[in-house]
Amino acid sequence: MFNDYTKSRTFDDLRESAGRIPYIRQTRFLVSSCIVLLLYAAILFSMPGDGFLIRGVLTLFVALLIAWSLVVITDEMRSESLKIATVFSALVLLIFLFLRFNVTNSDEIVELFFNIEVIKKAWPYLVLGFKTTIALAFWAALLSTVIGLTLAVFRSFNNKVLNFFIIAYVDFFRAIPIIVLLMLIYYGLPFLNIRLSAFASGVLGLGLNSGAYVSEIFRAGFLSVSKGQIEASRALGMTPWQTIQKVALPQAFKSVIPPLVGNYVASAKDTALCSSISIIELLKAGTAQQSLNANPSPLIFVTVMYLILFVPLTRLCGYIEVKMKKTERKVNV
Amino acid sequence: MDPIIKVNELHKSFKDLHVLRGISIEVQRSEVVSFIGRSGSGKSTLLRCINRLEEPTGGEIFIDGVDIHEPYIDINKVRAEIGMVFQSFNLFPHMTAIENIMLAPVCVRKISRQEAKERGMTLLNKVGLADKADEFPEKLSGGQRQRVAIARALAMQPQIMFFDEPTSALDPEMVGEVLDVMALMASEGMTMLIVSHEMGFIREAADRVLFLEEGKILEEGSPDQIFNQPQHQITRDFLGKVL
Repeated sequence: MFNDYTKSRTFDDLRESAGRIPYIRQTRFLVSSCIVLLLYAAILFSMPGDGFLIRGVLTLFVALLIAWSLVVITDEMRSESLKIATVFSALVLLIFLFLRFNVTNSDEIVELFFNIEVIKKAWPYLVLGFKTTIALAFWAALLSTVIGLTLAVFRSFNNKVLNFFIIAYVDFFRAIPIIVLLMLIYYGLPFLNIRLSAFASGVLGLGLNSGAYVSEIFRAGFLSVSKGQIEASRALGMTPWQTIQKVALPQAFKSVIPPLVGNYVASAKDTALCSSISIIELLKAGTAQQSLNANPSPLIFVTVMYLILFVPLTRLCGYIEVKMKKTERKVNV
Repeated sequence: MDPIIKVNELHKSFKDLHVLRGISIEVQRSEVVSFIGRSGSGKSTLLRCINRLEEPTGGEIFIDGVDIHEPYIDINKVRAEIGMVFQSFNLFPHMTAIENIMLAPVCVRKISRQEAKERGMTLLNKVGLADKADEFPEKLSGGQRQRVAIARALAMQPQIMFFDEPTSALDPEMVGEVLDVMALMASEGMTMLIVSHEMGFIREAADRVLFLEEGKILEEGSPDQIFNQPQHQITRDFLGKVL
């Protein structure tokens, strides 16, 4: 170490090696700052609940608390359990502060947001809405697959005229917000004497939109099949259609599945937009029950239902992606 | 006898790049013709133009007396009579060896799966891979893949076989097994057009060697003439480098 002349030893280095740790990383800092924060919190809790002054004092405290927590959890020398304890106590403190200075108290919160009575009453409607959401998602996925696959197959023929229309379709439906599309179909088409039920309008709107994305996904899948594969098939005398069916599609499907599932999940979440065209899906059922009972508990329930539905699905997407990467076959065979 | 392949003043350009500059050849039945030349001289492009994997920009091509650019010609029928073996094998990775071989006879020749399978097994036997019938290509070595690819082409019972640098992607120790299969085909009277750098094999198996340079046939003759008494300096230089 003393023979290491390549490195210049600065005064900082000397201090570090002499055991001098910056004050902010010492235990002394941790203890004293903790006491200051707790004192501050105690004063806060004893203060009256409203007024101009309290807002400023409160904001300062929250800022200090967050800064202090960050200082602790970003210090790699401190133990994991200390960091977890810090985060937890900071969160608990914040929740207490919120309850203390918010007009509502904790009993009211349970009654407002987790009201069992209201949810019991709303239950049948919410279940019906949930079923409608699933049905919408399913039919929209089916429609988008049919549209997307058809467009991608025609696109692969590389016909200039066809390509123009396909690109126009994709650009149009990707650019237009889904909610606008839904409104156009549900409120606009009847003026052309095309009357679709709310449900059919929803499926059509979601399907047309998602179909544009699905076609791009399949196109990328087809492009991922090497030129040599297509040439080998054509050289054997197979028609373009046979080549797509027997050679390109089976290979494209593998690389297409992860983004496709992701797209279905995204499209399923978009079913919530159908509440704007009077389809009683999960969100609409929730908002209707909320205004009927003058209580937001159904909305909380709806949120939970969405979470139960989509957390596993988004997890599944990630899982499939990892799995597919592992089983990818070599290209040059 | 009429030639099975007749190419007349063939031209091919890729945008600004003029790859083939007027090539005329005639190939008789059962003839083994080999194309040699530097890379970029147009050997592969010539083969790919004859079965229209590339569209020629000029000239005529007759297969068995039929102009393959006539509008009424179904190019798939023409291609079915021309087996092609690629440098990069191009086996279908989602099918087993036997499925690779059965695909085209079932789809194009419309024979039953049973018959296609029997024919496929006979061919696998011929290329020495009967025990690998149910393996996926990724489990096969390079030489085995190329032999399956040859069997796949033969399963269509083509009249002509094209080989586009069939051994260039192989490890040296696997070249022999592929060349053995090709030599066997030549001895059975198959019409073969071969683009290759395996000069030893060409000298043994080819009836005629064509030396291509910058999209033209510079020199043509029996292997003996080309290898032992090349007429042009360019040919001599090329052979000096590869032999």
